[in-house]
Amino acid sequence: MSTTTKQRSILNRALLAGTAIAGLAMGTSQTLAADPIVIGLTSDSSGQYANSGASDRRGMLMAIDEFNAKGGVLGRKIETVHIDTETTPATGSRVAERMISRDKVGYLIGAVSSGVANAISQVAQKHGVIYLNTNSSSPTESGANCHRVKFVWDGNGANFAKAAVKNTIASYGKNVIQVTNDYGWGHDTSAATKALIETYGGEVSDDILVPQGTRDFTAVLLKIQQAKPDIVAAAVGGDDQKALRSQVAELGMGQDYAWINNQQDWPDVYGLPKENLFGVFGTTWYYGLDLPGVDEFVAQYQEAYPDTKMRVPGNVFYNGYWATRSLLEAIEAAGTTNNHDVIKKLEQLRIPAEVRMQHDDAYMNPNTHQMQQTVYLATANTGSDDPDDLFTIVSHSSPEAVADTDADASCKLESFEDTPVNQP
Amino acid sequence: MLTTKGKAPIVSRQMLVFFAILLSYPLWADAAGLYEYLGIEIVIFIIYALGFNLLLGYTGLPSFGHGAYFGVGAYGYGLAQLYLDAGFIPGLLLAMLAGTVASGLVALFLSHRRGIYFALMTIAFGQVFWFLAIKLRGLTGGEDGLLNIFRPDIDFGLFQISLKSNFAFYYAVALIAVLVTLLLWRLVHSPFGMAIQAVRMNETRARFVGYQVWWIKWTVFTLSGAIAGLAGGLLNVAQESAFPDTMSLHASGLIVMMVLIGGGFVSFWGPVVGVIVYYLARDLLGSITEAWLLWYGLLFMAVMMFSPEGFAGGWGKLVAWVRRRKQGEVLMGGAQND
Amino acid sequence: MSAIQPVLNESLGMEFVTNLLPHLINGLALGLLFALIALGFTLIVSVMEVINLAHGSLFALGAYLAMVIIDPSLQNAGPIGLWYLGLPHLLRYAIALIVAPALVAVVGFGLELCLRRTYGKKKEYGLLLTFGAALVLEEAIRLTWGPVEQFLSVPKEISGAFIANGLIYSTYRIYAAAFGIFAIVLVWLFLAKTPYGAIIKAGAHDSEMVRALGINLPRLQLLVFGLGAALAAIAGIILTPIWGLRPHVGVDAVIPAFLIIVLGGIGSFWGAVLGGLLVGMGVAITGAYASAWSLLSMYLLLILVLTFRARGLFGKKTALEA
Repeated sequence: MSTTTKQRSILNRALLAGTAIAGLAMGTSQTLAADPIVIGLTSDSSGQYANSGASDRRGMLMAIDEFNAKGGVLGRKIETVHIDTETTPATGSRVAERMISRDKVGYLIGAVSSGVANAISQVAQKHGVIYLNTNSSSPTESGANCHRVKFVWDGNGANFAKAAVKNTIASYGKNVIQVTNDYGWGHDTSAATKALIETYGGEVSDDILVPQGTRDFTAVLLKIQQAKPDIVAAAVGGDDQKALRSQVAELGMGQDYAWINNQQDWPDVYGLPKENLFGVFGTTWYYGLDLPGVDEFVAQYQEAYPDTKMRVPGNVFYNGYWATRSLLEAIEAAGTTNNHDVIKKLEQLRIPAEVRMQHDDAYMNPNTHQMQQTVYLATANTGSDDPDDLFTIVSHSSPEAVADTDADASCKLESFEDTPVNQP
Repeated sequence: MLTTKGKAPIVSRQMLVFFAILLSYPLWADAAGLYEYLGIEIVIFIIYALGFNLLLGYTGLPSFGHGAYFGVGAYGYGLAQLYLDAGFIPGLLLAMLAGTVASGLVALFLSHRRGIYFALMTIAFGQVFWFLAIKLRGLTGGEDGLLNIFRPDIDFGLFQISLKSNFAFYYAVALIAVLVTLLLWRLVHSPFGMAIQAVRMNETRARFVGYQVWWIKWTVFTLSGAIAGLAGGLLNVAQESAFPDTMSLHASGLIVMMVLIGGGFVSFWGPVVGVIVYYLARDLLGSITEAWLLWYGLLFMAVMMFSPEGFAGGWGKLVAWVRRRKQGEVLMGGAQND
Repeated sequence: MSAIQPVLNESLGMEFVTNLLPHLINGLALGLLFALIALGFTLIVSVMEVINLAHGSLFALGAYLAMVIIDPSLQNAGPIGLWYLGLPHLLRYAIALIVAPALVAVVGFGLELCLRRTYGKKKEYGLLLTFGAALVLEEAIRLTWGPVEQFLSVPKEISGAFIANGLIYSTYRIYAAAFGIFAIVLVWLFLAKTPYGAIIKAGAHDSEMVRALGINLPRLQLLVFGLGAALAAIAGIILTPIWGLRPHVGVDAVIPAFLIIVLGGIGSFWGAVLGGLLVGMGVAITGAYASAWSLLSMYLLLILVLTFRARGLFGKKTALEA
């Protein structure tokens, strides 16, 4: 399905770039059938998050294919355009401008990096185009940098920290060292974690900042050993996290301290040895959850993507799928593609637990536009020989228990009057 | 070889063609499958590249860290809006000033360096600026960038022009590009232009002839930094944000690549061609294949192998060849008549 | 007075042994690894005066090829495949350490043949050709192995950890640093003690002279470039078990390599080694006491050195300055 839409969009481009006659011919053919709805997929296919970006996009495409199989949305077929956002904000901004003005997309979906998500959402807000941030978990996305047109579907750093900190302090001790990636997401997550640590009686004895792009963590690991904490709370992301993980595993330091790793995206760990997965970490979904519908969902994934190296869907795919599906359902429920109406539907979104294959009902916070959902705490599943079955789910927390309570204060959504009307 | 004589018309024929394309772009962009915003970025990068080529093509000084001054301009413009509410034109002037100061300071370290050591120092300084842009989160917004710098109106006292639409902003950028082009064209044909070319051809000889080489290098570096700052300020207006990745080594490498692939070493217009080729390749290939960099990289290798003077050099050779052929035919015809 | 002195010394000594010493050791190991990364880079620069920006991509390619050689998917390839998979891990690793660099050397030969067209022209053309090659190689790696994080498995004989003075050290890192010394000495012996080395060194100083002596210069250049590429691959195989393996891992390698050779002085073998050690120390010490600035330290070090010594620590005048 995706290849045919891709070919069609290439054809369109060729026609557009060609002569005026070709342009006219296409104009007439379009009047025959209802115009398709075009969705711009802004996931990364190069840079730090290339791998997560690919998984994200597979999720979106599976939801779109489901709708196209039953005749599209409001009787209109859904087409997609994808351009690499390169894990680079300036590129995200340009890609969003291009998709909106050149490809006439009605909706934009996809992000893993918060920088890219920010850049895209600013352009989207200017044009009144609804944008779904599928997978960036920076708390600022639904806080200081929230927008009326933007909806955030992943749990954020604050949610995951809430799920992890209390349990860990109670079981392992009070002395905590933080290891923080020295950039926005790292600092925000680390600050949220620190506040919680202090709330639950813990004490942060040191916060080791590591620059983005660090490949050698030996100095950090030596420092941790010299300080002998009970708990190490890490907010290290992307490639840095991968390097940290393999170096901790090599030294066998995973067992010596209680590690809290804020969130672990499935594409980042799939295929790695289980020793690399030390400590506890958050996730919004796992394919091994014992809930109705999960097996069918996995089967559907495997049928749709028989050649993918990743044999089971993970949280990034799940978020991409559900964001897209919820948007399309909201358009259908609104009965129109008008952005204001669709935004209002999304703001009231509520999805029963059994439909979303989580433990609790999920709902959109209308003030921050972040999906409130169950957050799971997981650890490595060393007891299984199945290479796919990486996680053991330790606990699950309800959306209320892990709600990011600071977001409501820091997020100021633009009014509807200030959001241009857009009816794709 | 890039050589200019002292005398040159204020406006050349190529310049008129360039201005005509520049100013008519919004009229035919849609029909050609392009769009206004793409034009904005292309023209901004043309300004950047023209200024950069003053350094690379005319003076022969390769800077691999010029993204720093571009970025400093972008942040300078953004901070001027956020804290001083400066408005469009004062904001751009401040962006230029920021680029000038940053590059002027760095040039103090660089102007006594030559060749590879010059290039590598530019990298090191470029990385320092990039690092600081990410590090000074309170000022720059860290890796997320400086956001929500809304496009102001141009205030002419009696009336205002809104830059909200890409159409209006495109013309603002295009007019600035016209000014910069005219200015740089004059500059390379001035005595200063002669001097920088003398430095490129042989630095030692230029020194013996009596040029203050380090002063010339300092001035040209700072000047190209100022233009980079201006372009950075404009990109901030376009994207309503300033991002650190415009300062990365990768971004700095791309501007070198654009200028060289277009033929900055042999033609004033090389950078213009290079920017257009890069952006069109990226926009058209990028929407067809995810591996567009593979194809662009191969194209680039081929250019460096077979026509290292870039597109402008290739074109020059073609013109010369056609001319020679014509002359050859005339000569041959003459011979037969004998 | 005299009674207090030893006590003070002892406490300072203890302080040193428990706090600073581990970081110095770590810096030394890291520095040797950095030097290893820069080895092939400096060889090509000093002999051919080409800055090979594809160094990082060759580094990555070497690691990917080694990964395939160590753990190939040969289950369906019949008895030979099964026999190969049945070999000890350490043996397959050793094979990879020889075969993968050899394959990368062949890629290096190809790149050198492309580069020939730029000889005698502006140095920037050669440099940018290698930049283009870096883009192409990285994309080719991405297309072949995907963007997914991969895993270069290390034999258990040289992995794991040991405890010394109450701190855990990585066994593999000790082997890697030792291998760094081994490679540095080997390359030095080759350059200093063999006739090839003498010719190469002569080529670095005066290529006209070498040509005049009737030595086949093109073949020499091909050989040097292939050797440089192979050294990049070896560095990749050694480093990626620590850094992780992904298509753009080469960028992590090429920038330090770059800085190191400038720091040491272009054309100086021991300058590159010393540059590597300095960068390693700088990163490790700032990593311990001002970790947020650890990556910036190498740039500041470079600016500092070049401000006072225009050609780096041991640099001589080269054609690259013209």
